[in-house]
Amino acid sequence: MPDLTNHGMQCNEFDQLLADALDGVLSGARLDRFQAHAQSCKACGELLAEAEAGRGWLKGLTEVEPPASLVTNILASTTGVDTQRLWAHTPVRQPRVSWLEHVQASFLEPLWATVRQPRFAMSFGMAFFALSVGLTVAGVKPSDIRSIDLRPVAIRHTYYNTQARVVRYFENARTVYEVEAALHGIKRNLTPAVESAPKERKDHKNDTTQQPEQKQERNYSQRDNQLILAAAHRGPSLNGVNACDLPVVSVTTYRRFV
Amino acid sequence: MEDVQVVAMLVRRCIAGDAAAWEEIVQTYNRRIYNICYRFAGTSDDAQDLTQEVFIKMYRTLTSYDPSKGAFVTWVTTITRNLLVDHFRKTKQDRMTDSMDSAASDHEDAQPLSEQIPDQSAPPDARVRQREVSETVHQALGKLSPELREAVILRDLQDMDYKEIAAVLRVPEGTVKSRINRGRAELARLLQRTYRQVM
Repeated sequence: MPDLTNHGMQCNEFDQLLADALDGVLSGARLDRFQAHAQSCKACGELLAEAEAGRGWLKGLTEVEPPASLVTNILASTTGVDTQRLWAHTPVRQPRVSWLEHVQASFLEPLWATVRQPRFAMSFGMAFFALSVGLTVAGVKPSDIRSIDLRPVAIRHTYYNTQARVVRYFENARTVYEVEAALHGIKRNLTPAVESAPKERKDHKNDTTQQPEQKQERNYSQRDNQLILAAAHRGPSLNGVNACDLPVVSVTTYRRFV
Repeated sequence: MEDVQVVAMLVRRCIAGDAAAWEEIVQTYNRRIYNICYRFAGTSDDAQDLTQEVFIKMYRTLTSYDPSKGAFVTWVTTITRNLLVDHFRKTKQDRMTDSMDSAASDHEDAQPLSEQIPDQSAPPDARVRQREVSETVHQALGKLSPELREAVILRDLQDMDYKEIAAVLRVPEGTVKSRINRGRAELARLLQRTYRQVM
């Protein structure tokens, strides 16, 4: 809305007086100025007309009747809260009970009620049966259990025995790995070098340039007649040297178990 | 509407656990709260749920009501308004989805309200016609922004004075008046467009 001055009234002042004017509480000189501004200012005149019409529409709206169940629902939901609140705040005087009765009431009775259920008895029986079968299969006898020593020295002794057994087990496993690695090495060295040649050719089957393969070791000038100061061994399959002439080196990785 | 002393006594009785006093409060204010909720939320189901929530909250916070700070009806309306704002925020996402599904009805070029009314000329009965007009105005009211809607509801439907509305909305009286003016004008524009389409 433009903030113009018409008949001594600005548009924002008109906006503030509009509600009062529609309520009929505006009178005297202020009402005259208000009406004069409404007639001279087009925007404010339209606003007055629209606000009056809108007020008329709204006044035509009648109150709706709430559903009949609303009050009942409200009372049901709130009186529920009320009951809980009263229970929470009202101290209930408890009769004096001994600690034995308290333990019996709070712990033993619920436990006994659970135990008495047939489902629990059946589960317990099955568990006992499974345990006894397992112990029998494992060769554990009741006399073994009786001979368990619970002195600290005996417990420490048992601990070290168990640790030594575990270490031995893994050391044995290491020996197996070593033997396996040695067998693999022997097998690899006994394989003729000729068998590996086609495989090498297969690796380069996509090479369509018909150029001789470049060497892996090269110096900066790319010439063969220059001195090669250092070179790695090419391996038996590349230069056709008999594989049996080469030393066999087997590498075994040891893993330490603590 | 209320005698301060009588209401203060009712509240005291409620706090003391008098169920009859609470029932009296519910009987007195349920209609008013339901109408505010219905006009703001738009549907009867939402209004029922919100009215119940208002009373539950009212009951839980009844001890915080201080008669020296304002009228009981203002306190009740403030609770209602706060819950309506929460409800509006919660359902904002749903409304956005709805508006994307349907036409952009808030836009000026969108489908007018007249097209949402089945047939304006069919029922000759004046009461039916009046009900349809009320429904049209109710729908137009739902299209106002929440700030303008709550202001015109409290003023034109609940007959609260500007000072009370300012206390409920926590804005100055000048802002209240301005919102009421704009709300009324916007509603008239919406309805003029609607009936221009019909005529």
